[in-house]
Amino acid sequence: MTSNIMTLAGSTFLETVRDRIFYLVALFGFIMLASTAILSPLTVGAQGKIMADVGLASMVIFGLLVVVFVGSSMVRKELDKGTIVTILSKPVGRREYLIGKFLGLNLTLISMLAVMGLLFLLMLFLAPGSFSLRFLGAFYLTFLELTLINAVVVFFSTSVSPVLAAVFTLGVFTVGHLSQSIRDFGQLQDGVFQRQMSELVYYLTPNLEVFNLRGAVVHGTAVSGEHLVMATVYSLAWSILLLVVAGSIFSRKELRGE
Amino acid sequence: MIIQVPVKNRTLDRDSRGTILVDRPSRVQTQVPDSSPEKAGSPAVVLEVRDLQKSFRSGFLKRRIRGVEGVSFSVNQSSVFALIGHNGAGKTTTINCILDLVHADGGEVSIMGMDHRDPSSRSRVGYLPERPYFFEHLTGRELLKFYARLLDLPKDRRVARIDEVLDMVGMTEFAGRRLKKFSKGMLQRIGLAQAILGDPDILILDEPMSGLDPIGRREIRQLLMDLKNAGKTIILSSHIVPDVEMIADTVGVLKEGCLVAVRDLTELTQGFSYTGDLHLGATDPTWLPAGCRSLGEGKVRVQIDSVGDLRKLLNDCHREAIPVESLETHRSCLEELFMEINREIPVKREVGR
Repeated sequence: MTSNIMTLAGSTFLETVRDRIFYLVALFGFIMLASTAILSPLTVGAQGKIMADVGLASMVIFGLLVVVFVGSSMVRKELDKGTIVTILSKPVGRREYLIGKFLGLNLTLISMLAVMGLLFLLMLFLAPGSFSLRFLGAFYLTFLELTLINAVVVFFSTSVSPVLAAVFTLGVFTVGHLSQSIRDFGQLQDGVFQRQMSELVYYLTPNLEVFNLRGAVVHGTAVSGEHLVMATVYSLAWSILLLVVAGSIFSRKELRGE
Repeated sequence: MIIQVPVKNRTLDRDSRGTILVDRPSRVQTQVPDSSPEKAGSPAVVLEVRDLQKSFRSGFLKRRIRGVEGVSFSVNQSSVFALIGHNGAGKTTTINCILDLVHADGGEVSIMGMDHRDPSSRSRVGYLPERPYFFEHLTGRELLKFYARLLDLPKDRRVARIDEVLDMVGMTEFAGRRLKKFSKGMLQRIGLAQAILGDPDILILDEPMSGLDPIGRREIRQLLMDLKNAGKTIILSSHIVPDVEMIADTVGVLKEGCLVAVRDLTELTQGFSYTGDLHLGATDPTWLPAGCRSLGEGKVRVQIDSVGDLRKLLNDCHREAIPVESLETHRSCLEELFMEINREIPVKREVGR
C-alpha cells in the first residue's frame, strides 16, 4: 500500500514539475520576491521589514495558486482523459490513489517553498541586519497552511468540476482567514440566528489565522515551539478528515460512463 | 419451452414461437460451468460473472438506460473469451464492471475466486482500455517503469522485463519518446505492453485491434495467439468479427446490454466451410500452405472448413516465417451468427425511471 502511494506521489510530482503552469507560477513568484528588493529602498528605515513582509506574502499567494490550479484539475484531468483506469485496474485502491495524488502535490509544494524560501533568505542576507532564522518558523507555518488547502482542493476535486473546485477552495481560504472575525462579529449581533450562523461558519471552516504569524515574525517575534506543534496537529487533523471524506466520495464514484 | 432449431449449419436457441430468446437470455442460454475444483478434469474457472446488472441515468428526465442486464458467463483458464456486439451493446460496460471501474447495480463477479471489488483481485490481471490514454509527460519507458512499480515487480527484474515487453509489442525503437508524440497505434501498443508487463494470468483487452493498421493488427493478433499458447486467459471485446474468429475459443454476443448467446467457436464452425484470400507478406513465397492456390503477388486462395483449419494455416505460415498480412473471407459463420442475432432479437434499451 505504502509503495503504491509513494509511486503515485512520485508520478504526480514529476507531472507537476514538467507542467508549464508550474513554471509560470514559480516564475511569477520569483519575480514578486525580486521586486521586494527593488521596492524596499523606497521605504526609509524599514527596508528589511518590507522585504520580509512582501516576500512571505508572495510565498503564500503563489503557493496557493499552484495548489489550487494544479490540484483542482489533477484528479478530474485523469478522469476525463482516462489515465486513471489503467492505474486502478492494477492492484491499487482508490483511497491509495487519492492519497498518492495529495502527497505528490505536497511534494511539489515543499520543493517550491524550499526554493522560494532559499531565495528569500538570500535576499535578506544581502540586506544588512535583516537576516534571521526565525523566518523558518513562518515558512513551516505557510507549508502547513498550504498542506491543509491541498486537502481542501483534493476534497472538492473528487465531487465538482475543476473551476468550482478552484472557486470553492479560494472561498475556504478567504473564509478561513476571516472565520475568527466572522465569529466575533456574530457574537455582537442581537439575533440568535446570526450568532448561530457565525458559530457554524467558524466550526465548519479551518481557522487559517492559526498559521498566519507572518506579521509577528517580520516584527521580530519568533514562533514558539508549542505553537508549531499545535499548528502541525491542527493542519494534520483537518487534512486527514478531508481526505477520509474525499476517499469515501471517490470510492463510490463511477470512473467510466456507458 | 426452449427448443433448438437448425439455422443453416448451426443452431440458435428459440422459444416455442420461434423467437430467439430475449427475455433474460443470458440466464437461459449461458452455461455457467461448475467452478468447483473438485470436479476432476475440468479446467479451472478464472473469471465468473453472474447476473451482472448495470444501468445509467441519461438525459434531462434522467431516464434509466440499461448498460448491461443479467449478464452471466464464466471463462476457463488458458482460453480466449470474446465479447462481440455492435457499438453500445455493453461490451465496455461489462469489462468496466468486472474491473470495478464502474459499480455494478447487482450481480457477482469473481476473479480467480476473489471478489472483484478487492483491489488485490486485480494483481494477476492485465487490462487494456478501449481508448488507452497515458501520462503525456512520460516517455514509453518511464510509463512502463511507473506501472512496474505499481505492480511491485522486483527491482532487479524491472529493466529486463520492460525491454522484453517493449520488444514483444514492437515499441523498443520509440521507448524514449514522450507519449504526447505517440500515434493512436503506438498508444495501443504501449497500452498492450503495460497490460502484459506483470506477466498476468488474465488479460482483459477492450478492442485491442482498434486504431491499428493491417500490419499492426496482424502483429498484435500473433502476439495474442502467442500469449494464449503460453497459457494466458484472454478476455477481449471487439466488433471486428474476423479477428475474433481467429483468436477466440468462445464468443459471447451482446445486444443492447443482454448476453444473447454464448458459443464455442469450434462447435459453431463445425461443418461450416468458406473460401478466403490470404494476403502474404512475401510476394513470391517459396512455400505455400497445403491446399492453397496461388493468385499471384503474394495472394493465395484457401478453403477453410473449421476454425481449427484456420489456426493450423496461420500457425504453418508462422512456422515457415511467412508473414500473413490479412485474410479476406467471404462471410464467416461467426459473422452470420452475429448478423442473425442482430436481425432477430429486438431488445428495448430503456428500462424505466
